[in-house]
Amino acid sequence: MPTITIDGEQYQVDDDQNLLSACLAQGINLPYFCWHPAMGSVGACRQCAVVEYRDAEDQRGRLVMGCMTPVRDGGIYSVNAENAREFRGGIIEDLMTNHPHDCPVCEEGGECHLQDMTEMTGHTNRRYRGSKRTHRNQYLGPFINHEMNRCIACYRCTRFYRDYAGGDDLQPLGRNNQVYFGRQRDGMLENGFSGNLVEVCPTGVFTDKTFSEHFVRKWDLQSAPSICEHCAVGCNTAPGAREAGNGQDALLRRVVNLYNRDINGYFLCDRGRFGYDYVNSDARIKKVLAARGDEMIGSTAGAGDRVHGEVHPREGVQKFAEILAAVQRGQRRLIGIGSTRSSLENNFALRQLVGGGNFYSGLSARDLELLHLVDRVQRDDRIHSPSTPDIENADAILILGEDLDNTAPRISLAVRQAARNRQKQQAKKLKIPLWQDASVRQLRGEHSPVFFAGTEISGLADVANATLFDAPGQIALFADAIAQLIQGSDAAAMDLAADRRELAMRTADTLLAAKNPLIISGCSSRYGDLIRGAGKVATAIANRTATNCALYLACPEVNSLGLAQFFSPGRGHLEQLTQELHGKERDPLTLVVLENDLYRRADPQTVERILSCADEVILLDSLLNSTVKRADLIFPAAATAESQGSYINSNGQTQRFYAVYEGGGYIQESWRWLADAASFCEQITADLSVIAAWQHSMDLSEAVAAEFPTFEALEKVGPDEDYRIDGLKVARQGHRYSGRTAVRAKAEVAEFPPHLDPDAPMAFSMEGIQSPGATPLSANIWSPGWNSNQSIFKFQQGIGGARKGAKGPFKIRRQSQSIPDWTISAAEPEQDEEQLITLPIYRMFGSDELSASAAAIASVIEVPFALINRADAERLGVQPSQLWRLHTDGNSYSLRMHVSDTQPPGTLGVPCGLPGLEAVSSQLPGRAQLKPLPATETGETP
Amino acid sequence: MLTNPLTNPLTKNIRGPENVATDIARYEDNGGYRGWRKALQLAPEEIVKRVQDGGLRGRGGAGFNTGLKWSFVPRGEDSPSVKYVVCNADEMEPGTFKDRLLMERDPHLLIEGMAIAAYAIEARTAYIFIRGEYALAAARLELAIAEAKEAGLLGSNILGGDFSLEVHLHRSAGNYICGEETALLNALEGRRAIPRAKPPFPQVSGLWGKPTVVNNVETFCNVPHLIEMGADWYRGLGRGEDAGSKLFGVSGKVKNPGTWELPMGTPIREIIEEHAGGMQDGLKLKGFLPGGGSTDFLGPQHLDLPMDYDAISKAGSRMGTGTIIVLDDHTCPVGLVLNLTQFFARESCGWCTPCRDGLPWVVKILQRIENGEGLPEDLDLLREQAARMGPGNTFCALAPGAAEPIQSALKLFEQDFIDHITKGCCPYL
Repeated sequence: MPTITIDGEQYQVDDDQNLLSACLAQGINLPYFCWHPAMGSVGACRQCAVVEYRDAEDQRGRLVMGCMTPVRDGGIYSVNAENAREFRGGIIEDLMTNHPHDCPVCEEGGECHLQDMTEMTGHTNRRYRGSKRTHRNQYLGPFINHEMNRCIACYRCTRFYRDYAGGDDLQPLGRNNQVYFGRQRDGMLENGFSGNLVEVCPTGVFTDKTFSEHFVRKWDLQSAPSICEHCAVGCNTAPGAREAGNGQDALLRRVVNLYNRDINGYFLCDRGRFGYDYVNSDARIKKVLAARGDEMIGSTAGAGDRVHGEVHPREGVQKFAEILAAVQRGQRRLIGIGSTRSSLENNFALRQLVGGGNFYSGLSARDLELLHLVDRVQRDDRIHSPSTPDIENADAILILGEDLDNTAPRISLAVRQAARNRQKQQAKKLKIPLWQDASVRQLRGEHSPVFFAGTEISGLADVANATLFDAPGQIALFADAIAQLIQGSDAAAMDLAADRRELAMRTADTLLAAKNPLIISGCSSRYGDLIRGAGKVATAIANRTATNCALYLACPEVNSLGLAQFFSPGRGHLEQLTQELHGKERDPLTLVVLENDLYRRADPQTVERILSCADEVILLDSLLNSTVKRADLIFPAAATAESQGSYINSNGQTQRFYAVYEGGGYIQESWRWLADAASFCEQITADLSVIAAWQHSMDLSEAVAAEFPTFEALEKVGPDEDYRIDGLKVARQGHRYSGRTAVRAKAEVAEFPPHLDPDAPMAFSMEGIQSPGATPLSANIWSPGWNSNQSIFKFQQGIGGARKGAKGPFKIRRQSQSIPDWTISAAEPEQDEEQLITLPIYRMFGSDELSASAAAIASVIEVPFALINRADAERLGVQPSQLWRLHTDGNSYSLRMHVSDTQPPGTLGVPCGLPGLEAVSSQLPGRAQLKPLPATETGETP
Repeated sequence: MLTNPLTNPLTKNIRGPENVATDIARYEDNGGYRGWRKALQLAPEEIVKRVQDGGLRGRGGAGFNTGLKWSFVPRGEDSPSVKYVVCNADEMEPGTFKDRLLMERDPHLLIEGMAIAAYAIEARTAYIFIRGEYALAAARLELAIAEAKEAGLLGSNILGGDFSLEVHLHRSAGNYICGEETALLNALEGRRAIPRAKPPFPQVSGLWGKPTVVNNVETFCNVPHLIEMGADWYRGLGRGEDAGSKLFGVSGKVKNPGTWELPMGTPIREIIEEHAGGMQDGLKLKGFLPGGGSTDFLGPQHLDLPMDYDAISKAGSRMGTGTIIVLDDHTCPVGLVLNLTQFFARESCGWCTPCRDGLPWVVKILQRIENGEGLPEDLDLLREQAARMGPGNTFCALAPGAAEPIQSALKLFEQDFIDHITKGCCPYL
């Protein structure tokens, strides 16, 4: 560990870093712009100048840029030297010559790194007398505002967008002080990580357009640590909310990244950043609704559709309680359907209410089996589930059937970084420090090996060394051949076509030769043998190398892996439920559906069969959806940002999210509705009394942990509601929160006491601990002089280290179990002329249920479409952009046809979950017939 | 124009204003490609050594020992098999027109020099990155490359031997920053012309990440006769500390502006008074930029300095490209500095702050002073700006170069600046 002297003080600093990050890690404030902890140094802004002295004798020293200077053992530096301070002030003065003085109307104001750095350098006096250069701004789509006049040309935006995230439609244009950061022409930014520009930009050039819709200053937001609910990666977020101020409900205003080294680091995907707005959508359920007796008459209504009216919550709960009472009396059956997008606590609560035997996953047999397969493979000790830094370290990657950009975007970003490892090795050889980003990136040469085999690759095509496009069955055979080759047998490889065999051999050799091989697969292909194949490859590598092998298996939803733990393999799926319901004579039946739209889980006929067996359907959910139409009683469920609970991510990591704000209307956590109903029962049985006694979210967390040792970590993930720091709770609002007494004054001049949080040791107010350094429960990342998100380094254990005070990761505890020697055989039926095999494909915007209701995201979701292979298109006479009709068993869908060169022949790529195609999604992969649309229907969009 | 091949090896083929040695036969008749033929008989390492011993220093402005630069290129079994030689023909330094003369009038000399360099570092591909405006030079170089190939002096198995070399001409889209060798490499690769971070140096990782030597046109043109006649002979060409001969130029209000090949170390007075014919009648020399627009002004007291890299450095300026811009006593120094700074501000690549935002500010201040709207405190502001653009403070040498005429003019011609401000107009009008 080198020792360096800065302004007379000695510091022990980490090896292999630059002076800027060493200073920051020691808590020394040194201003900077172009340097970024995840993107390294390029020496563009010249802001971090310090004086370096040759030796103790040297009194003058020379100016060096902190970010470009490696720390030297024994080095003597000065941050405070007069000439260094003057130079830094001068740089700000230069930058300010063209920066508008529009802070009061700039949305970055109050969390602007440029403001902070300007303050830090002490530059206050404007000597520039000229005019400022102006630019024309561009329309960049519904997510990002563009205000180029504010640009200080730090190049961070294009370095992130192009170098880090692989985008190519944003670039520096022009030269000298006219340099312009934009697109060749107006248009939506194409890269799925564009939202990070908002956080990467040190000033207000790129700001969050969805936030603009309901903007408030950062200091006026209340926040708490949350988990992104839009995929199963489990990125940590810091959503911000505030009262509407006009008597309307409080609004969730935005989502920003919350640093978690092991998962999301500094970056989120656009689905995660902009998907939050669903909680503010018109489709939000905020009141208790009950079906009225009258029949629905109308052309759009289906048989059995209900008409709902608002009822008082007490009335709704009373009705629910009566049903529970009937169940207690044995006059009624109660069946519960859980949810992969609801917390462990909510699922557990429902399971307790209905009894383990009556609790179902709400997933089809196929989908549940996939989750159990993931679980099964992850139990093998030869496999480890890699964190994001582990993925970034991989030096050979095989991706099997997972279009990561659309199914686990943050993982895709990590793979992109891993592809640079060969370049980094070369840099090490040339003794170039890895933080010298521009130096490292100019070393050309091949990417580290990334092999992709699957249906579609969206974002990583440019870093993939080899791609193989085929249906999942063939990909599974390919994986099996690789596994066997690694084990030393070429039997399976001999069955492959020559070019495929060659690729399998090359892949096997490369993976075996790698120091950190990584296999990635998951559930998105909906094909069990693919997960088995991935498991076989990983364990084969582990067997040969005698160390465990990294295997990342992507799950579909935020709590998929968590929900699966409640069921033993083969149990709890919708097919079993259908069988159960139809099997025997029965009592009247009430079906309680927890945060689940069944019409996304199975074909409409199956869902219909289930729902028609129920005498009542009680639904707890946050958004109006197709299942709502069949519900008799609907309770408004709190969304992630409005509640507390725990999710298990694809890696088996347990994470807790906390209520950011109170929400509006009558929403509360689903488990609270169940507990309320239980406590409303006149005669409370022992079972019900347990449920009725739940007061705090942690009561449930503890109960889950007690009943399922798998979840034992739930008790450790975070403190209970009684935890205090110096006798205080953690404040959700920062110390500058304004308008406390005024925001509701229009309605009532009296100041209301803040809502009490029964679940977390946190206050919905300014009172309490406000320092993010004191506890990771604080999500208001702020430090004196550092108002922007850049301040996160103040709360890390070393630059880029784990958050101070963070515990974990807490993995779920599973019995270790080796995977069996699965036989993978070609199972796909012969193609037939009449039918195409439909394969699931995914889109960042549209495939996820909740984010599709966020206004900005909804505006960019594609119309229902399908990908067809060029040869098939020619054979069938399909023209690009033409509308065709897809016929599945009993249903049909109009689709706009996109011709693709990579869609496997004989197959049709159908976007899973896309609005309009929810019902067909559950039947993918499957078979369907494609027919031209009758001339009368081809007029316009479906 | 002196034409003795023994004292004027660079211009021995350029006789009089009309003469053009673009014809390969005439070039060879006058001793052309002898250096190349001789080089092919030598071991590559030997060539590097001779160039190093000859003391040839880069003629683009930095004055780095050329042989030493070549010696940094990795050699041997483990070294990359692909290497490049690149000629920096992006001559855009204000006041400089020496490379243009060489390329337009004797294109084979450049090709011969590049071929020897390529052989020395074992490169099989060479590029000439030429300023887009040099259309005539480009056309003649294209022709010369074709002739040399036809004659078996370039292409595959040169002169029946093992060595092969392709030379390509690339016409630049035009940017002063392309004179910076790593920005040139970026531009050649089709990227933005911004300087690269160093290390890695181009000799290790240059064009497309391969070892690359980038030299100025004139530097390459020195190589053939250095190899042919030997290092001792070459060193003997110089009159002072530095070896060889050099094209020196003079522009400004002298009687006979132009460019001449003279020994290194020729006194400045001799260049201005003998070769350029002295100042035009009625004008006095007020100062001069010794090596192009991006060097510090020197004054009449420096006229007896020899044009040697170190001698000029000691006097507080740089020899740069060796092309002198003369300032007379009837021309406004503020206007001259403004003109230069406008050029540098426009040509800034936009990468680092002091250059990108500092230079336009300097332009605005100078404009105001020139227009009689300057304030006394503007001089301190200019000094501050120039200091901020000092060496090491910026990413590359463009801004430090741009600062040199500003900071030296403020020293040498301070009274002129003050007069502008106090009189409220340009006193030269």
